[in-house]
This record gives sequence, structure tokens and C-alpha cells, in this order.
Amino acid sequence: MNLRARGIFDRIFTVTTGLSVGLLTLVLLAVLGPMVYRGSSAVLFTGTVEFRKMQRDLFRRADEKALEAEIARTDQFRQTVCDMIDEFKKGIDIQGMSAEVRKIHRDLGKELRYNEVPAERYTELRSLSRDIRDQLEIAFNSQEIEAIRETVAGVLTHKGNPGFKGTIAERYFEIAAGFLQAAEQIDLSRHHDYAVALAETEQILFHSDERPGLLGPRPGESPPLLVMLRYGATRWDQAQALLDQFHRYVVWEEVEPDQPLVRREKPRRELFAGTSLEPLFPYVEENIRKMLRPKFTVYWQFFIDDNVNSHYFGGVGPEILGTMLITVLGMLFVIPLGVISAAYLVECASENWVMRIIRMCINTLAGVPSIVFGLFGLAFFVLFLFPRLGFESKPCILAASMTLALLTLPVMIRASEEAIRTVPQSYKEGSLALGASKLRTFVTVTFPAALPGILTGVILSLSRIAGETAPILFTGAVSLGPTPKSIFDPTRTLSYGSYDMAVGDRLAMMVPHNQYGMVVTLIVLILVLNAVAIALRSRVFKKLKGQ
Amino acid sequence: MNDDTSLTLTLEPAADAHRPLVLTPGQDLSGFLAAHLGRAALFVITCSSVLAVLLILVFVIYRSVAFLTSYNIVEFLTDKAWYPTAESPNFGALTLIVGSLYVSVAALVFAVPVGILAAIFLSDVVSWKVRNVIKPIVEILAAIPSVAYGFFAVLVLAPWMQKTFGFTTGTNALNAALILAVMALPTIISVAEDSISALGRELREASYSLGATRMETTLRVVMPAAHSGIIAAVVLGMMRAIGETMVVWMASGNATQIPQPWWDLSLSIRTMTATIAGEMGEAPEGSAHRSALFAVGVLLLVMTFGLNIVSEYFLTRAKKALGKS
Repeated sequence: MNLRARGIFDRIFTVTTGLSVGLLTLVLLAVLGPMVYRGSSAVLFTGTVEFRKMQRDLFRRADEKALEAEIARTDQFRQTVCDMIDEFKKGIDIQGMSAEVRKIHRDLGKELRYNEVPAERYTELRSLSRDIRDQLEIAFNSQEIEAIRETVAGVLTHKGNPGFKGTIAERYFEIAAGFLQAAEQIDLSRHHDYAVALAETEQILFHSDERPGLLGPRPGESPPLLVMLRYGATRWDQAQALLDQFHRYVVWEEVEPDQPLVRREKPRRELFAGTSLEPLFPYVEENIRKMLRPKFTVYWQFFIDDNVNSHYFGGVGPEILGTMLITVLGMLFVIPLGVISAAYLVECASENWVMRIIRMCINTLAGVPSIVFGLFGLAFFVLFLFPRLGFESKPCILAASMTLALLTLPVMIRASEEAIRTVPQSYKEGSLALGASKLRTFVTVTFPAALPGILTGVILSLSRIAGETAPILFTGAVSLGPTPKSIFDPTRTLSYGSYDMAVGDRLAMMVPHNQYGMVVTLIVLILVLNAVAIALRSRVFKKLKGQ
Repeated sequence: MNDDTSLTLTLEPAADAHRPLVLTPGQDLSGFLAAHLGRAALFVITCSSVLAVLLILVFVIYRSVAFLTSYNIVEFLTDKAWYPTAESPNFGALTLIVGSLYVSVAALVFAVPVGILAAIFLSDVVSWKVRNVIKPIVEILAAIPSVAYGFFAVLVLAPWMQKTFGFTTGTNALNAALILAVMALPTIISVAEDSISALGRELREASYSLGATRMETTLRVVMPAAHSGIIAAVVLGMMRAIGETMVVWMASGNATQIPQPWWDLSLSIRTMTATIAGEMGEAPEGSAHRSALFAVGVLLLVMTFGLNIVSEYFLTRAKKALGKS
């Protein structure tokens, strides 16, 4: 091979090795980038007045007066929307109107009796009322505008009847007039289509049985039982998605026979073309900001709030608390065990078969799959040890933290061993030469010198414990549940919560910011711990180099 | 008098100097006992790791004994049908074993070339300073918890793959293998880099002085000399991939099948770890199903022990080779 070819190959090889590291960096960015970006919107986002209402009702966190004023201002625009819809409904909502005229008929009977109208007059008015009711019902169900005009005109001739004056029967004529006016404007043959389209539009604007809408319940409507339905779009991005649904509907059309259907988006406004509801669409478009009042919000309470309606609202407070409880308790077990083991391995142990077995066991322990730790925690702590010690045999924080302590023991031992080994021999020799015992030398000289290194190990173990999920699946983690009262209760954790939000929880799909918020909280917690460990280690390294 | 007291005061720190040089037999004995008892106590604490390994073995095996004694072990290892909740349940774990190995090997196919090249880059190409800047990237990759990788696999990677490649499902063997590769990379890189850079300058300088380029030096001199360490790195990466739970549970699709044809990574598979994680919650206490899941755990333990022994063997060989050169 000639020299040039070798040189080129060499270049290519070098570049390839560099590319592999570039690939690593890209992977890191690709993994963290989208998650952190979406997760940060759990805390920083544009909140609407609905968000502030929700905060007031669920977390008692609001400037009452300012909020009341704000709500009053938004309600004014919302009322217009409701009025427009009610107006349109007059021609569409056959069942509602039929029910209403029937009710008027019943109430009129009661009212007349209460007014002590003479019996003959009573019978006359009753039969007239029944007649009007039946006529109106015929009109409501008719699709011929001519017939409707005729019927309604017939009904309206009774308007001047002195017997109806001042009674509920006057409503008949209002309804009849409103209905005629509405009927003039719409295509009666499309009556059913309008009804369906209107119901859908209302669901998007207010709420359906399972999804919250753009504006939340109408002013004056009694709040729905499901908490998430009590508020409209709490976030501006949600509002825009709903607004998009409001303006455009999706149909699957057959373009060619035997081909898959094609997704088409069509303006919803066209469904109501030519009706009194058409102006609703530009109205909502223009006034949406006045109805929702979006404002940039920093929701730092995400980290302390409990969630409401299985993670639809609220934050990850209990998860953070649970993770901290398990981690701190686990560290209480693992730090003494790890540091003492490391000290013994460095200071006292001679190389013989016993030490070789111990080292092999430490390596083995490091290689045991995390799910097997979970099995062990279940079999040993939960099912074997706790019943014998008189505790309740159920998954709990104590079992989870002890399982995780065993899992992270090798990390702790190795890091501490490394740290103790790097303490210069001269330190120990100086101490021993002054007459200090071995124990005293270790406690007063070696240990303080190794402390930063040991701390690095502690932090790495911490981050390992906080992030592990598989070992606590059966030993102490739950997806939803009360905040633990003692270490003998199971708890929610960030890690198991992240799993549950990603796979198990159906509602979570509707609130991606909370979904990503949970996992990003976990990632940030662990990365911060690791950054501290890395910084600490490089300081120790510099210090040792300086000496 | 006054002089005396001031004198003793100043001498106080060195009060031990008054101690007689010869210890009384009692002091001697107590010192001896304290030293040895203390040592024994430390030894007992150090043995906690041994105890932990033993307890894990004993309890996982103990829970699976009911299954292993009543069920045909050969059938357990070779039957493909895993129907734990059927009316007449069948516990054939072959599909799960194959699934675990399949996805781990696929992960290694992605991870090993990248990992070794990156290790070479860190040890032989860039300066120490640049290396210290790049190393945290690897460490962050290792620090991200597995559930976060799983989350990424399900919610970001799976929809993207489904859209881009037109797979029927985004949660499949390819998805799990890619994520496992990323998770195994830090292990592979750090072990391989340790063994490559431990070789020292002499070997490389000898090669360079003979006129070899960096590629030739790396491929013909450094890699053969460091092969034990590199094999250990691959084995440790394999161990990491086989034992991983959350990612495969979330990303592999959990379909009990052996991919047909074997190279089709877009099919869903199911691994041993995911089976334990997914079914343990539904298996009632004392049932054959629960016992069988513990038996799968034993199988996992045996496999990781085996891999551990292999990696130990290669790591000691690497150390010995270093000692000789």
C-alpha cells in the first residue's frame, strides 16, 4: 500500500472515531432535548383565567378581588356566546322545546287553579292551552316552512286572549315567535344535521362528558362532578388546540373506491352557513383572548402541589416527597455499610481467598438485574422478614429503601474504596508515627482526607436510588394513593410515576405537559446530583494533583 | 507552687508522655482484644455484600422451588408456549429467553462499534483536556434513569418510527434495541477506554517509530493487546442489556413471539425481565404463576452470573497481560 492511501485511511479512521463521539452527543441531545422542552412547559407556560380559577378552587391560591373582576369581564363575552347558541337552539332543539311547552301546559293548570279561576273558564283555557301545545309540537316537528308559518300564525291569534294575560302561557307566544324566526333562517330538511353539529360545537366550547372544553361550564351551570370538566382550557396551548377543533372538523373521505379513506379538514363554519349561528365563529375568533385572558405564568408550585383528577391538574409534590423519603432512608442503610466495607477492604484486608470471595460477591451484586432485586425485596423483606418482626406484610417505603440500598451497595463500596485508596500513604504514616492507633488514624486522618471522594460516591448512589424503578415495583411504589403517614406505607415516586404516566394512565395523554413534567423533574433531579458529583470529583482531583 | 501549676498546664497536651513504656498485662490484653474484636466487627459488616448475594440466591430460589419441582425443567427451557393464566397453564420460557437474548444482541450490534470507536477517540486521539470535557457526556448518558429512557422510547421514539418507517407498531424490538444500545454504551466505553489507555505509551511509541499510522497502530497493535479488556467491556454491556427492565417493558411491545423472519426488528417481542415486571402484580400469592416468575428470575440470575464470571475472567487476563508487558 502506498503512503498516500495509508494516510487517507488513517484520516478516515480518525474522523470515524470522532464521529462516534459526535453521535453520542447527538443521542444525548435527542433524548434530553424534546423531553426537557416539553417538560418545562409544566412550569413555564401561558395560563388562562381558567387556570387561575382552578388554582383558587383547588389550591386556595388567588388574588380574590382581581380574579373576581377578571372573571366578570370574561363572563360578559362568554354570555354573548351562550346567547347566540341559545338563540340558534330555538329552531333546532326540538326535544328541549317540546319539553318546555309541555311543562308550560302543566304549570298553567296549577297557576289557573291557584288564581281561583271559575271552573268553566278553567276548562276552556285548559283545552285551549292543550290545543296550542299540540299545534306547537306539530310545528316543531314539521319540515315545511309554509306549514310552520300557518301553524304558528294560528297559535299567535290567541295571543290577545285576556285569560292568558299575566300567566305563564305568555311564554307560548315567545317560543312560537322565536321558533318561527329561527325556522325562517335555517334549512329545515337539515334539521337533524344542525342538531348534531350544534351538540358537537357545544361540547368543544363547554365540555362533554369526558373532555373539558374551551370555556368550561356555561355561566350559571352547576359544576360537573368530574373536577377536570369544571374548568375550560387552563393553558393557552390547550386553548389553541381546542380553538382549532372549533374552527375545523375532520372527515374521512373516500377519494377513490377501494383506497384507504383520506383525512380532510373542513371549516366548521360551513356547517352553519346562512344560519344565525354563523357569526359565532368570527366572534369567538376575535374575542377568545378576552374570554380567556392568557398571561405568562410561572407555576413553581408544580413541585409541591398534589395532583387532582389523576394528574389532570396539579403537580408532583407527593412524588418528590416519596422519592426523597425512599432515597434518604436508603442512604441511611448504605452509607455506613459501604464506607465501613471499603475501609476494611483497603486498610485491614490482606489478599487471600476470603477477600477474593468478598470482592467477587461485590461484583456479582453489581451485576444482578434490578428486577431480581425487586423479586428479592418482595420475597425477603415483604413476605419473609416483616411478618416475623411483627410488621404488616405489605409493600412499603422501608422495604423499598432497603432493597435499593442493597442495589446501590456496590457503587458505594467501589467509590469509597477508590477515595480511601487515593489518600497519600504519607498521611497515614505520619499519624501512625505520632503514636495514633489504626482506628484513630482512620477516623481523624484518612477519613477526612477521603471525604470528598466518598461524598462523590454518596451522590452517585443517591442518584441511582432516586432513579431506579424496577426494584420498587413490588416493594413500595404505587401510582396513586394517599401521602404516606409512616415508613410502613407505600408511596408514590417520581420514577414509578413517570412509568405510569407514560404507559398506564389514559388521562395523562390529554395533559402531555404534566406527563413530561414528571419525567423531567426526575431527570433534572438526577442530573443536578450528578453534576455536583462530577464537580466535586474534579476539585478533589485538582487538589491531589496540586500536592 | 505557682510555677509548678503553670508548668503542668503548658505540658498538658503531652500528658501521654507520662505513660509508662511497658503496658500492664491488663492493658495489653484489652488493647489486643479491642483491636481484634474491632477488626472482626468490621469484617462482619464487610461480609454484608456476601450475605446479600446469598440471601438473594436463597430467597429467589426458595420462592421458585414449588414450580421447579413440579414442572418439567426441560420443558420450561424449551417450550415456546407461555400461557400462565390459561385454564391449563403452560410455562414455556423459550420465547422469553430468546426475546431477551435477541434484543440484547441487537443492542450490542449497534453499541459495540460506536462504543469501541469512541473509546479509541477518548484514549488515543484527543488530548487529556478534551477527554475531560467529553467524558461527562458519557457519564450523563449513564446517569439518566432507565424509566426516563423508557418514557422517551414510548412517547418520542415510537411515534416517530411509526410515522417515518411505516411500522405497524412503534414499540418493537428495534426501538428497545436502540435504547438498550444507548444504555449499554457508557459501560462499554468506560471499560474499553480503561483497558486501552492502560496499555501505556511504550507499545504505541514502538509502533509509531516503525512508521505505522495511527490507524495501523490502533488496529494492529493496541487492539490485539487490549482485546481481553474489550471483550470484558462487551460482556458487561451485554449484562447491562439483559438485566434492563423498564426500557424493554415499555418499548418492546411485549408480544410473546419469536420474530419470524429472524432479522425483522420491527416485530414486537417480550423479554424475561419485562415478563416478571408485568405479570408479578397479577400473579396471586402462592400460585404456580408467581412461582414460575421467580423461576424466570433464577434463570436471569444464572445468566448474569455466567456473564459476570466471563467478564471477571477477561478482566483478570487483561490485568495479567499488563503486568507482563
